[in-house]
Amino acid sequence: MIAFLPTLAEPQHFSVWEKLLFGALAAASAYGFWRPFGPILNKILQSKKDPEFHLFPIGRRVRDFVWEVMCQAKVIRERPLAGVAHALVFWAFCAFALVTLNHAAAIFGVGFLDPAGRVGRFYFYFAAVFAAACAVGIFGLFVRRFVVRPKWLGGQLSWGSGLVALLIFVLMVTYLAEFFVSGAGDAARALWWAHTLALLAFLPVIPHTKHLHLVLSPFTIFLSRGGFGRIPPLAGDEDFGLVAGTDLTRLVSLQAYSCVECGRCMEHCPANNTGKLLNPKEVVLGLRGYLNEFGPRSKEPLLGKYNAQEAAFQCTTCGACEFQCPVGIEHVPIIVGLRRGAVNTGAWEDDYGAKLFLALERGSNALGMSASERDKFIEKNSLPYFDGMQEYCLWLGCMGAYDPGGREIVLALVRVMRFLGASFGVLRKERCTGDPVRRLGNDLVFQQLAEANLETLAQNKVKKIVSICPHCVRTIQEDWKAYGTPPEVEHHSEFLARFSDRLPRTQAREKIVFHDPCYLGRYRGVYEEPRRVAELAGELVEAPRSHERSFCCGAGGGLVFLGEEKGERVSHARTAELVATGAGIVGAACPFCNTMFQDALAARGDGAPKLMDIAQLLARGLPE
Amino acid sequence: MKIVVAIKQVPDRDAPVRIAAGGKWIDESDVQWAMNEPDAYALEEALQLKEKHSGEVIVVSAGPERVGSTIREALAKGADRAIHIVCDDLAGRDALAVARLLAAAIKPENPDLVLTGLQSEDLGLGQTGVIIAELLGMPHATLILHVEKSGNEIKVKRELEEGWFQSIEMPMPSVLTIQSGGNKLRYATLMGIKRAKTKELRAVNAAELGVDVAPVLALEQIAVPKKQKSTQILPGSAKEAAAALVEKLKTEARVL
Repeated sequence: MIAFLPTLAEPQHFSVWEKLLFGALAAASAYGFWRPFGPILNKILQSKKDPEFHLFPIGRRVRDFVWEVMCQAKVIRERPLAGVAHALVFWAFCAFALVTLNHAAAIFGVGFLDPAGRVGRFYFYFAAVFAAACAVGIFGLFVRRFVVRPKWLGGQLSWGSGLVALLIFVLMVTYLAEFFVSGAGDAARALWWAHTLALLAFLPVIPHTKHLHLVLSPFTIFLSRGGFGRIPPLAGDEDFGLVAGTDLTRLVSLQAYSCVECGRCMEHCPANNTGKLLNPKEVVLGLRGYLNEFGPRSKEPLLGKYNAQEAAFQCTTCGACEFQCPVGIEHVPIIVGLRRGAVNTGAWEDDYGAKLFLALERGSNALGMSASERDKFIEKNSLPYFDGMQEYCLWLGCMGAYDPGGREIVLALVRVMRFLGASFGVLRKERCTGDPVRRLGNDLVFQQLAEANLETLAQNKVKKIVSICPHCVRTIQEDWKAYGTPPEVEHHSEFLARFSDRLPRTQAREKIVFHDPCYLGRYRGVYEEPRRVAELAGELVEAPRSHERSFCCGAGGGLVFLGEEKGERVSHARTAELVATGAGIVGAACPFCNTMFQDALAARGDGAPKLMDIAQLLARGLPE
Repeated sequence: MKIVVAIKQVPDRDAPVRIAAGGKWIDESDVQWAMNEPDAYALEEALQLKEKHSGEVIVVSAGPERVGSTIREALAKGADRAIHIVCDDLAGRDALAVARLLAAAIKPENPDLVLTGLQSEDLGLGQTGVIIAELLGMPHATLILHVEKSGNEIKVKRELEEGWFQSIEMPMPSVLTIQSGGNKLRYATLMGIKRAKTKELRAVNAAELGVDVAPVLALEQIAVPKKQKSTQILPGSAKEAAAALVEKLKTEARVL
């Protein structure tokens, strides 16, 4: 059937002048590309090597590459319409690689795809389908950028993007038109040259615009550190985090140049959505600006002309930006890296921050309370001490041991554990896991806390930890690894979900809206377990932003200890969203979310929904 | 400006306090140690004076080997060098003996100012700083919250009772004992800890200092204070009871 369709028309013979002209233009185009790209590549390669970077195991990298680059999964999932349009353009580019190569080879008479041959015919039609889809896609993207203009793309129209869209459109249309002209005529030659010129004009535009991501982002995704929000180790005695250009690693520089400025990060950023200075996109572009002006060998501070210290300390480390980023930028390690640079050198001066650090330098908990308060709580409620014989070590954490709300969650969990007959004990001595200081960039105090706790756990021969706090769970499991081997740890939602069939189901079907804590969801990938538990106590409804798109409560990244925030409170924004679902109960699974929502709900006055941790929801249904 | 800060290492606030066998001191086996808080404020005041007027901050501390961690903390926060007076039996010595050790180490430095906390968090005698002044033949002021230098003189803000403050002008050199809370303490940084490794830390002992450390006072016995709780019911109508309560809060509890 394919034989009856028109054939791609290609000029059969090219004059010497044409060959020379093509050669000169191709060389000029390549030069136009390399002149700005060479220095960029140089800046990336001149950056410091990443400590503890391993290419292997490579499986994870291949998987990420196939899923995020080839399948365009992240691009599509977040913004389906624009995402599919982008994917069509991307897939067309892939399909076109062979066509373009053949196109350039044809002028020298070494074309390898014969338009009349079976393989050539098939392939050209295959590419034509993509070309048509791409033309539609790029037209759609053009309309979005220049007519719809979502605010994420920035206030200023990017004429570079318009030019690129036009060039891509011309590339596709000229290719498709070649099916409808005769190979012998001038029309085919004109189309060939139009196609070629568009192609050669496209190349030099790439390094000047955000279309640099075409070249860099496949590498960025393949080479990414991996692991969500993973904070890299410091290397040597002179590494204090991201202080100056000399501290930028190759991965950070590569990521800085890969940003495609799509604004998904800012769309999801709790700080950016509530009127703070922080904009994750600008943080990355700030590093790019720094690299362009000062380079990776500069001693100029990173927090200065291009990035503001204030912004760096407004991040809740919720990781919504990193989770969404389609080009593999790891925002959390960058922002925490900037904080490390400021805190580890003493450049960050903040009364609340200093108070927290001093409390943890000397004391046991982030709340600055006396350790005897914990002892009193344990004794008053007759919690058993861990003696090595019990199955679980119940990790109280600062909130569980000292905060009135956190204590209630612990006691509710204890009731459920006793109902289930699970054996558990609490440690005689516990120090903060170091989560707030880790995220605020204080490596000194974090190391002290991690080492002290690891020693206590080893002395007590702890094998399994269960905790009500996703921050504790994350810090114990991932961050402590830098200083030893932590025991197995799980969040109480995982523990409770395992026994959900043995737990009573309440008759009253009150509506519950469950808020995914960042450190349980995005950081740990636990979404279904807390829901399975909450379902026992009522009817689940979902907030508009849930699961991996959950909107932070505002407490993370140590921010809960830093006093009043600028602009609207993140907790108020999130609470308004949860209340709007009409649920009578807000279900939480993190003592920090709990304390933030408690205040935010109280501020709403009468008629606000009740706030309960999933453990409290369950304990309610237990026989007295 | 050359400032010497005398610092003591004391049991951490959260450390378990158990009386040792013999009843003369606490059992130190399970104790974590920390910098005496008023001394931390003395160090902060010294560092701020140095940052403003330039000069040198020297830390001196007496005690066994474990004191090294507190000395390093002081160096990490910004002190320039340190003298460690090595003595294992600090608990058995009286304030006079300790002050003699400290004064002997301080004297050859010829400092412009000697700062120390107004008292220690463990014994709370509040004498060491004052005795050092006497031994060095320098004037002293106690309970100082703030120091301001102008020319060869200093102006100090001294805390009195019931919210009153006293402002005094003093010559230099002099000894000041610092009250907690006058400044905001700085936090220790990773860079500070790394830099501290290269700073001078000199160890000396009592014999080298040529000091007579025979105690003139001996600690007989220590005890944990007994907890007492007493409830009193105020009779009469609500009005009378309230009036009686206010009176008691004023005269007995003295919180109003």
